[in-house]
Amino acid sequence: MLEPVSAVTIQLGLAALYSLARPGSAVSREAQVVQQVANDAVNSVERSWALFGRKASAISELSALANECAHEGWDGGDARPIDPQAVSKAIAFMRALPDSLPLPEMTAEPDGAVSLDWIRSRNRLLSVSIGAGDRLAFAWLDGSDRGHGVARFVEGVVPARIVDGIAAIMDVRDAAVRAA
Amino acid sequence: MLPSGLPEVVADDEPLARFLMSSSQFNALMVKPAAYMPSAKDGNTSVFRHGAEPRESLLEIAGTHVVGERTLHGVAICTAQQVRASELNVVAQEPPPRHANITGWPVVANDPEQTKAQQKERALLIAQHAVLVRVPR
Repeated sequence: MLEPVSAVTIQLGLAALYSLARPGSAVSREAQVVQQVANDAVNSVERSWALFGRKASAISELSALANECAHEGWDGGDARPIDPQAVSKAIAFMRALPDSLPLPEMTAEPDGAVSLDWIRSRNRLLSVSIGAGDRLAFAWLDGSDRGHGVARFVEGVVPARIVDGIAAIMDVRDAAVRAA
Repeated sequence: MLPSGLPEVVADDEPLARFLMSSSQFNALMVKPAAYMPSAKDGNTSVFRHGAEPRESLLEIAGTHVVGERTLHGVAICTAQQVRASELNVVAQEPPPRHANITGWPVVANDPEQTKAQQKERALLIAQHAVLVRVPR
């Protein structure tokens, strides 16, 4: 039977990993290989923590927004309550975003959709609307250039047009973004 | 002349106030475009013909006609000219006094997402010029 792993056990395991990864006096080929493997493992663990923490924090922010805008007229007018399906899709969207892209700011829209915004400056931004359906409306401003489009979000894959748009607006030049 | 004493036609240089009831509708840099998206019910965006000053009368309008039991977090101010430059219009719509609607949002028949995308582009255009007035809590 599987037993829960305590935080202490994890800490002890990581402590051992860190000690192996620390640059030391490894001289033999075997010792160098062990040090390299430990280094790779530490990097991987740290990267996962950073990404998970970042996305978890954004998802938690979205949950707070969903609570704030859960009632009719949350905007002082006749806005619809935020749609729980839109919230679920927005979470899936953020989880599916390539890790090298920044996470969006978010707000509710009057029709119950979630707006995800990447804002570089007042005239350099991209905004994606996530509603209950698979088709996403988006628009952008990039200096004097502007436009809009619709793309489909299916099977957990963020549409390439949106990925490219975010990368361009936010000046992300990571090759991994294009490959995602 | 309207009951508020304002002219029926909203002049280009008139400031328009959009009340922000969620702190998520703006950040340190700007008012977010979603704040200007039209209502799903009537297809318009509700604004009041008032600038950032005098602050007391701006907040009085919010308190009397918009806020209710909610919290006012900020006010976005733009001009009618900026709205019209975004291929939309502003039309006086009283009561309540000083109320107006941003109208003319594009609609694509049988395609709600294309409609939304086009509307969003126009909201981006207005939002880039909007001035945020923060309301101290």
